Amino acid sequence: MLRAVVTYGSQGPEVLLVAAEGEEGYSEYTFADCAIIPDGESPSTKIEGLEECDEGPSPIMPEAKEFFWGAGSFVLFALLMRFFLYPRLRRSMDAREAAIQEAHASAEAERDAAKGEVSAYESALAEVRAEAAARIDAARATVEAERTTRLAEANEAISARRAAAVADVDAAHDAARAQVGTAVATVASRAVELATGRAPDPNSVSRVVDELMNSGVAQ
Amino acid sequence: MLALEFPPINEILRWQDVFPSFNKIAIIAVAAALIGTLIFLIAGNADGSKAPRGVRNLAEAIVEFIEGQIIMPTMGRDGLGWTPFLLSIFSFIYLCNVPGIIPIIQMPATARMAIPLFLSLLVWIVFIGVGFKHQGLGYLKSSLFPPGVPAALYILVTPIEFISTFLVRPFSLTVRLFANMLAGHILLVTFALLTESLVQGGNIALVPVGILPFFMLVFLTAFEVLVAFLQAYIFTILAAVYIGGAAHPEH
Repeated sequence: MLRAVVTYGSQGPEVLLVAAEGEEGYSEYTFADCAIIPDGESPSTKIEGLEECDEGPSPIMPEAKEFFWGAGSFVLFALLMRFFLYPRLRRSMDAREAAIQEAHASAEAERDAAKGEVSAYESALAEVRAEAAARIDAARATVEAERTTRLAEANEAISARRAAAVADVDAAHDAARAQVGTAVATVASRAVELATGRAPDPNSVSRVVDELMNSGVAQ
Repeated sequence: MLALEFPPINEILRWQDVFPSFNKIAIIAVAAALIGTLIFLIAGNADGSKAPRGVRNLAEAIVEFIEGQIIMPTMGRDGLGWTPFLLSIFSFIYLCNVPGIIPIIQMPATARMAIPLFLSLLVWIVFIGVGFKHQGLGYLKSSLFPPGVPAALYILVTPIEFISTFLVRPFSLTVRLFANMLAGHILLVTFALLTESLVQGGNIALVPVGILPFFMLVFLTAFEVLVAFLQAYIFTILAAVYIGGAAHPEH
């Protein structure tokens, strides 16, 4: 005898006729025996056999819906990439690359120009240095010549002054000697007068004194 | 006993439709196309005369990566016209791979067969088309009868070349991407479930042990970041090799 089981599922009331054990149509299986319980089904719901179970998708066989959604998505993406996305990106990449190359070439040109300027500056600097060295040498030669001239003049002046000094010394020496000779002659005349009572000839005394003094100097 | 119940693979790949015929994989595919478009749109709107920054820097890095690391070594300067196509493939696959490690989403769209299959078929059509465009019917001759092989060996070589060039290439492209991403997804699920079983299993002694699969989970998550990039790169470079080979068989 069949028993009616009424359940309220997601799609309204459902009636299931269940046979009692031993009767025809009896099944010992429920959805709980399946690996996957179908959505909206109760695990205790009786099924006639395991062949009613939802085995889920095959792990190997492709599913049409996945194939078409995947294909559609990819084809759209590839078309966008081919006609819009990639050309746009590539154009701006190429433009930047061209700008970089142009800037690079410009920098190279500027570097070459700067190198030319540096070499021109260096050659000008070398010229100036050579000129400065020549001027320094000329100035040094001029200074040396002037120094030599001035030194000669100074030496001449010193010699003249030395000669004048020597002359002055000689004159003073002669004057002193004459004074000494006069004094000695006076003393000697007086001594002779005191000794002999008669005054000697002053010229003789003077001559004798001169001779004695001269011989003394010669000795 | 840990009583670890690993769900069937079908269950971890089963997603309820958001609306009829639109499930999580479709959401990820649409989001990948939108995000990719947005990235290159923002990059294109940025001031191109200044040094690139942010999103523009990212977009230019991807373009230069595709041109410098994929096209130039495999196709040469002549292949630069293929940049938008290969750029789309790389970006789309990467953006479909990455959700595998994004919390809550945690599903790479390429771990399902449909998207890798479509992309492989597209590459297959493109490289065969390029072959006929550049060489005419000579493409079949250069593909099936490689020069320098003794004539007697063509009995063996020609069927092998036909199978490898025209049948195996799309299959291997599909399976390489799909299987790698699905394997990564299953590994993450495995270690996440193991960690949960050990930590919440009710046995206090096993709780500290739960840190081991947790560390493995963290390591694999980081590894999946690399795998997401690597698989996108491998798919794209193979596509470039196939197209370049069809256009210039002498290379």
